[in-house]
Amino acid sequence: MANGGWKIARSRGGAQLPIALLAALAIALILIGKAQSNLFDRARANVTDWAAPALEVVHAPLASLNRWIGSIGDVFKVYQENLRLKDENARLRQWQNAAVVLDNRVKRYQLLLHAVPDPALSSVMARVIGRANRPFLETMILDAGKAQGVKPGQGVIDARGMIGRIFLAGDHTSWVILLTDLNSRIPVTIQPGNVQAIMAGDNSSAPTLDLLSQNVRLHPGDQVVSSGDGGLLPPGLAIGTVVETGSGGYRVVLLADPASSEDVNIVDFKLKAETPPGVTPSDLPATAAGLPPAAPPPQVAVPAPTIPVAGAPAVTAPTPAAPKPQAGAAKPQAATPLPAAAKPVVTAPPQTAPADAGGNE
Amino acid sequence: MERAGNIMGGRVLSSILPVSLGVLGALVANFPVSFLGNLLPPPLLSFMPLYFWGIVRPDLMSPFWAFMLGLLEDFLSGGPPGVWAASYVAAYAFLDNQRDMLAGLSGIGALTGFALSALVACASAYLIVMLYHWRLEPIAPVMAELVTTVLFYVFAVFLLGGIHRRLVGPLRSDF
Repeated sequence: MANGGWKIARSRGGAQLPIALLAALAIALILIGKAQSNLFDRARANVTDWAAPALEVVHAPLASLNRWIGSIGDVFKVYQENLRLKDENARLRQWQNAAVVLDNRVKRYQLLLHAVPDPALSSVMARVIGRANRPFLETMILDAGKAQGVKPGQGVIDARGMIGRIFLAGDHTSWVILLTDLNSRIPVTIQPGNVQAIMAGDNSSAPTLDLLSQNVRLHPGDQVVSSGDGGLLPPGLAIGTVVETGSGGYRVVLLADPASSEDVNIVDFKLKAETPPGVTPSDLPATAAGLPPAAPPPQVAVPAPTIPVAGAPAVTAPTPAAPKPQAGAAKPQAATPLPAAAKPVVTAPPQTAPADAGGNE
Repeated sequence: MERAGNIMGGRVLSSILPVSLGVLGALVANFPVSFLGNLLPPPLLSFMPLYFWGIVRPDLMSPFWAFMLGLLEDFLSGGPPGVWAASYVAAYAFLDNQRDMLAGLSGIGALTGFALSALVACASAYLIVMLYHWRLEPIAPVMAELVTTVLFYVFAVFLLGGIHRRLVGPLRSDF
């Protein structure tokens, strides 16, 4: 292990100018990437699509090996683990009965109250074919992409809870930004109490909680679920439980374990855009009160502002003739629906780079 | 004539070998399958050939290739473009300035020299990402990557040295 044995070809690279130029180029690239991240992302998605078969082939034996290595320690505590699982199973059965009873009761209440049903949820099942654990990005790659209806922003869950969100979708593969990634920010609700917070990853196994209200005190064990704010994620997705840190802050112990998840669901939250119904004459207050509709006031031609030009006579812009009120015009017309461009449409936020993928929803 | 062809082929091979190893390192390190069970971040394998030949044969590992290897690292790692490119160029600037000192080191000293260069690269990346997101980022993941990279270099330097002795050095002995 030595460099001393090597004879340097040139004592000095003499590369100060190229280095300065390349540094400037790199900084320009960072700025361009910040403004137009889609260019890089599209190329990445194409490369991942292309490499997906190789990833699947390599991932399977390595995942088995990792599982085997991870299970070596478990061999020595099988008996205790078995007892613990039996105990947990008995408790879970009790909870299952309680859950079924409560679920039925909630459904009955919803029926009695004519409550608006929850939006439809569909999901795509995908297999994890790759994981990357870099200092500035924790991600996993799934074998489902645009061809399967996967879109950026959709939530990814496994059997235990939420894992992350799609931030880049290729044709047949997609990248997931994990909840633990430092770019991840998810609006969450903490139960009980409906406390709103933002859960932010910091590359540790337990993301932090930024409470939106300073006067709230949480308790260890409180449940953290997605709040649904922003309309991208469905409300109520199980995420984890609250733990208190030594410094008075709070963190979330995630229910899901991205390191061991093999099959996941990509949740498509279909929050349909709502179009307000068109207004009919009977909806007008005057008509509804049984009064005849008032005729619209005649429009008065307003002279256009004159623009004084130095050395030239003032020019007045011609104004169109004011429309004369017609007999038929007195009848109020039914308001037509807004043109498509003017309709309020709920749209998903634009696709963002991994850096911003977890940004504000 | 045949000998001239062999010499030309050898020169081409020796020219592309350091950069090819850097590209291979970037591909292996960023292959999205964990060889370490996600316990440790993957080392900056592409940085090792960059440092090694950046010291002993800067003609084979120019700043341009440092930039390109960093760009490849950016592309494959999924991070914002330009971060590792700028960091590798910064580290190259450091080793270009300190080449005489770094080339004279051996044993633990050589490892320390590599660790210093890798520290420049990782610190640059950390600062750039911090400015990019405009918030204080956790430093532990970068430190873990730095430590992993330095530990891997202990083994990698023997491999790189062997390749240099057997392939790169003899084939361009006239340089």
